Amino acid sequence: MPRNVCDINELRMDLFENTFDVLKDYAEKRSAAAAIFSADANDWPSGAGRNVVLSDDMAVELGSPQTASTSVLLWTENPGRVRDGRITLIGPDIGTSADRSLPFGKVVLVCVSGFNEDNIYERYKEMEAVRYAMDLKGYMMRAASQYQREWSRISREALQNGFSFTVLGGALRNGYLKKDYIHAVEFLFVTSDIADVNELGDITRKVSRTINAMDKMFSEMKSDCDECEYNDVCDEVSDLKKMRNARNKKRGE
Amino acid sequence: MDKKTKTIALCGKGGVGKTSVSALMIKNLAGRKDMKILAIDADPAVGLCTALGIGIKKTVDDIRNDLISTIKKGESQDKTATLNMLDYELFDALTQHNNLALLAIGRPESEGCFCRVNALLKDIIQDLAGNFDVVLIDGEAGVEQINRRVMKTVDHLIAISDTSAKGMNVARTIKHLAFDNQAVNYKNMGMILNRVRDQQEVKIIREHIPIDLLGWLPEDDLIREFDFHSRSFLDFPDAATAHRTVDSIIRNLQI
Repeated sequence: MPRNVCDINELRMDLFENTFDVLKDYAEKRSAAAAIFSADANDWPSGAGRNVVLSDDMAVELGSPQTASTSVLLWTENPGRVRDGRITLIGPDIGTSADRSLPFGKVVLVCVSGFNEDNIYERYKEMEAVRYAMDLKGYMMRAASQYQREWSRISREALQNGFSFTVLGGALRNGYLKKDYIHAVEFLFVTSDIADVNELGDITRKVSRTINAMDKMFSEMKSDCDECEYNDVCDEVSDLKKMRNARNKKRGE
Repeated sequence: MDKKTKTIALCGKGGVGKTSVSALMIKNLAGRKDMKILAIDADPAVGLCTALGIGIKKTVDDIRNDLISTIKKGESQDKTATLNMLDYELFDALTQHNNLALLAIGRPESEGCFCRVNALLKDIIQDLAGNFDVVLIDGEAGVEQINRRVMKTVDHLIAISDTSAKGMNVARTIKHLAFDNQAVNYKNMGMILNRVRDQQEVKIIREHIPIDLLGWLPEDDLIREFDFHSRSFLDFPDAATAHRTVDSIIRNLQI
């Protein structure tokens, strides 16, 4: 008996499978210049809610509005896709470059379970909130998901105390793993040059559009798919299309 | 939060030297290297930026107007995502100079009521302010604008006035609006007299105006020179009388 496409609870919410493949190729092409680390499990001191790093105190900034920046989070229910705790870094680590300002690309890959039409949007928002909840002494982060940009600063003091991508990755991983539906977290950080970050941005653009489409689908009571700016993504990403059909059916459209 | 942010708002009639006094206070505060200072230019004339010799890239109202045009286009806005985006934009709008950051509010240009946008921006400014040791707001005469466009509560509300009857009337109005009409929440209110030519005037004003006199500055050729030549008040000499007077006022505020 064919599966009813509207029975969304039986679907695997793997919206980004193609992007996982392309990202793998992207990292492999740069493997000679890449370093692999494990996320540091140690606790970093809290910033006690004061997380602004002014330029006077700043050792390095990543992805400022004056340079290239891209940041996305992708999830999958396929455990083979995510190597828990692994950090791939293409480019210099924090504080190892003479430049105080570096372009920045960040991809967080998480392995999840139990996603369905009823929880996928809330869970996406919960996962998105993790990076904003980081309270690490000497680390400031500002991000706008609308622009797919993330801008961070690391203070001189934090750098002297050993802040690095392994510390950042470790703290983020701890934050994600507090969600009982997240089982593994992997990171790709890119600081090599603007071209590499822009290429990463191009690869992940569809992820943002898929999330924007989902955002629109879940936040608007009625939507005319023919008029929607994301109808190309819904048509292309099969799970999104099924999600849309299921929601339309629930709403009696 | 470990440390408590102190917030000072300066208001007064146009032309009494409010922005020069604000700039002198900021110069003094920024000299304390262990502190982070946020200066907010809430006067639509954006004079504080000029007085400090610090350029601005964009104002809070530029950010506000961009968001309003997005909303008018009908694009959907998740509240949390919008708050994060505004926070990003606001930090980008800060101009930084050593331990000092400057934020300009600008002039509202969009027509219509966008209370929700103003409320979001006020929340973000309040949140940002919590990261600094001292926040100084250079406001306009209408004290209610501080509440409407910047933040709900300040620690020290300071009326700046010269010794003219008009200046005194505006100071009285500020007190009336703040205290009787509760246009802005404050913990302490005081007044600084500027451009004083005769100490006798200070004595008379102290007796007749029901506002604590925090200090007074005489008519000062050096301030006039800095104003006239558009020199940055951050370069105002520490040994000058005006700087020492302002230092004493700030210390009396226990900052």
